[in-house]
Amino acid sequence: MLRLRRAPATGLGPGGAGGAAAAAMGLLNFTRDPVPEAVSGDMHNLNQLSAQQFSALTEVLFRFLTEPKEVERFLTQLSDFATMNKISLGPLKNIVKSILLVPNGALKRNLSSEQVRADFIALGLSEEKASYFAEQWKVNSPTLTHLAVGQTLMINQLIDMEWKFGVTAGSSELEKVGSIFLQLKLVIKKGSQMENVYVELTLPQFYSFLHEMERVKASLESFS
Amino acid sequence: MAVVRRAEFAALQSLLKAPSRDAVRQLCQECFSSPPARLGPLAQRACPSLAAGPEEAEQLVSALHNLTRHVVYRGLTRAEDILSLFPENFHQNLKNLLTKIILENISAWRNEAQASQISLPQLVDMDWRVDIKTSSDSISRMAVPTCLLQLKIQEDVALCGDNPVVSALTVELSKETLDTMLEGLGRIRDQLSAVANK
Repeated sequence: MLRLRRAPATGLGPGGAGGAAAAAMGLLNFTRDPVPEAVSGDMHNLNQLSAQQFSALTEVLFRFLTEPKEVERFLTQLSDFATMNKISLGPLKNIVKSILLVPNGALKRNLSSEQVRADFIALGLSEEKASYFAEQWKVNSPTLTHLAVGQTLMINQLIDMEWKFGVTAGSSELEKVGSIFLQLKLVIKKGSQMENVYVELTLPQFYSFLHEMERVKASLESFS
Repeated sequence: MAVVRRAEFAALQSLLKAPSRDAVRQLCQECFSSPPARLGPLAQRACPSLAAGPEEAEQLVSALHNLTRHVVYRGLTRAEDILSLFPENFHQNLKNLLTKIILENISAWRNEAQASQISLPQLVDMDWRVDIKTSSDSISRMAVPTCLLQLKIQEDVALCGDNPVVSALTVELSKETLDTMLEGLGRIRDQLSAVANK
């Protein structure tokens, strides 16, 4: 996810000019921190776009939000938008940074589309554009929520399981054995690295393991 | 696997000096269970009760170890097969006693051999717990169930001997991962029944 750094607190203290601007905006839903100075200027610029241009830009933004790994594609699409609409890329990127503050905060705080709309209006976006964006937010929020949940911390996440089973034919102690063994390879994510764990189970252990896992599934399903 | 040589059968005759049948039985069991490296100390302990010198005791213990392990290795289960291992002129009563003792212990010894064979780390225990995640830094309100699975894994028994090294591994599974895992386990179960029914 494109990490957006909030501007450092230069002139944004309660005593500074930025403080006055923040107070004028009223209380925002998507954040409790003061919003960077640049945002109101960016919203003003956004208001200059036609409805069609705004709609195209919104589409690019949501495509990125729903597929946050596609950074290259996002930047290319922004650059194309800039060229087609005769806007400089630099200022466009700043505008995009400002816009993205709202959906990112809204996702963390489970905001409704009305709250998103209210926030954009408070930031200075026109009612028409704010409503449009809020509508797109509503449409995309199940996907975005699912993505956010997927990013939630998992400890030693099980990534993959491979297995094989076979028959032990013989050993140095027993000429003929004929017992069944089951081997599992568990791929576990420890921090940022993958670790492989190899385990062997006897047949009774396997059936017991299977039985327990089915109980877990029943338990998980009753909570879904 | 060690084959019992003629000379070793001669060493077995030292058992005739044993105080009782139970003493012989006890010694057989100890000789089977002991790994080759620990036969020396075992021989030293056996010396006094057998009124045998250290060298004689060592040869006896080694012969008993080889004999019992050989029978288990070959999977001999009938008295005739075991009796036929002994040379012609071997003491009759001792031969019968040893065969009897071996037959009594053969299935326990077989299990012991199987339990201590080399393997990958063995699963010895498993526990689970289901949690509901209610909040995180990426999303402040949610209700996502997740499973924590703790596997207790024991390193190779053959390596550890009497001090098993057990490590605990705790793994987290999402519902999707669990479903995929169960699918895999189900396939194993189906294949196992197919093999069993052949």
